[in-house]
Amino acid sequence: MTASETDQQLVQRTQRGDLRAFDLLVLKYQGRIAALVSRYVSDPSEVEDVTQEAFIKAYRAIDKFRGDSAFYTWLYRIAANAAKNYLVSRRRRPSADATLEDTEVGQQAELLADVGTPEAVAMGEELAAVVEDALASLPEELQAALTLREFEGLSYDDIAAVLDCPVGTVRSRIFRAREAIDERVKQQMSGESGFR
Amino acid sequence: MTTSEREYETLSAMMDGEADELELRRVLDSTSSDPALREKWRRQQMVRELLQNRRISQPTVEVSSAVTKALTGRKSAISNPIWSMAVAASVTMAVVLGGQQLLVPQSNVMEGTLVSDVVGGVVPVLGAQPVQASLGARSLPVAGRQMESADSERREVAAMYERLAQDRYRNLGRRHASAAAQTHPAPYISYVRSPAASAEKPPLQ
Repeated sequence: MTASETDQQLVQRTQRGDLRAFDLLVLKYQGRIAALVSRYVSDPSEVEDVTQEAFIKAYRAIDKFRGDSAFYTWLYRIAANAAKNYLVSRRRRPSADATLEDTEVGQQAELLADVGTPEAVAMGEELAAVVEDALASLPEELQAALTLREFEGLSYDDIAAVLDCPVGTVRSRIFRAREAIDERVKQQMSGESGFR
Repeated sequence: MTTSEREYETLSAMMDGEADELELRRVLDSTSSDPALREKWRRQQMVRELLQNRRISQPTVEVSSAVTKALTGRKSAISNPIWSMAVAASVTMAVVLGGQQLLVPQSNVMEGTLVSDVVGGVVPVLGAQPVQASLGARSLPVAGRQMESADSERREVAAMYERLAQDRYRNLGRRHASAAAQTHPAPYISYVRSPAASAEKPPLQ
């Protein structure tokens, strides 16, 4: 099983009318979709409006999603179209960065482009430092389990084989590693005024 | 391990696609009552992005509450009793009016007129093309005939159709038997019951 299979589970529940499942998908992807929209629209309040509109459109069209592509790929197209339509309605042209969206490398370029306001970028950099520090401070067995999962993309079964321990232990170690990092992130975020 | 910790561990497994359907349902049930669970899910997605990309996109954006609110408002508007009554009333009105249209005689229908009375033996129907039906060399007695001979001709035609149907049925049976004998791996005797054919045979003693 992969993370995208969790997306698929959440999508199927959304298709059956479970709005809570869609809420988890929104929480998961809102940052990335907002980053995409921000390359079309520069005003932060407009970015939020268009991002919100994109998710609402996705929800309305969710029955048409058949799982032929990853959910994020499908959502990405909806958001890009929502942003373009927004610009058309405002009779504005997309920024130079946004033209990357029409290419196959658009989604990869998303990771390379500078996104968000300078404050948001600075905040992200601070968080990145906190997460790196927290990861380095983890006990070795927790760090190994999380690293194999996040950087190598191994399944719990494979990690159990590598670390020679039961799958339940792998699951528990990854959970504890995330909890330790989350505690540091939560502290950092509560100290930042920009986080909601 | 407390209930919350168990749910948080499930949330972590969900991040990796390692939670089963039942666990996922339990977490979803808890998200309504435990806002911390939603926040943790959001933060852990951010941490993943930071770990994998060393940067984060739009950490301050939060639209989930607004999206849920908009969608809940839309759903409740549809499930609103007044809205439902309006839809039901519209459907009822359409059914009643439609039924009346069917019951009331149309003024453009030629009441009591036989097909044979119409010039050319063809009833004018909007958008329809007249065709001449025939069976072999004989024309079907549907128009231009006298009422006296109509009954006997109708019986004759019915008998002709009956014979044709029986011939076709037997042909199909033979083709079916032939195809089954060629394609079926095991010795196979096909059986097609023909009511008309069996009626001709005397009953078994």
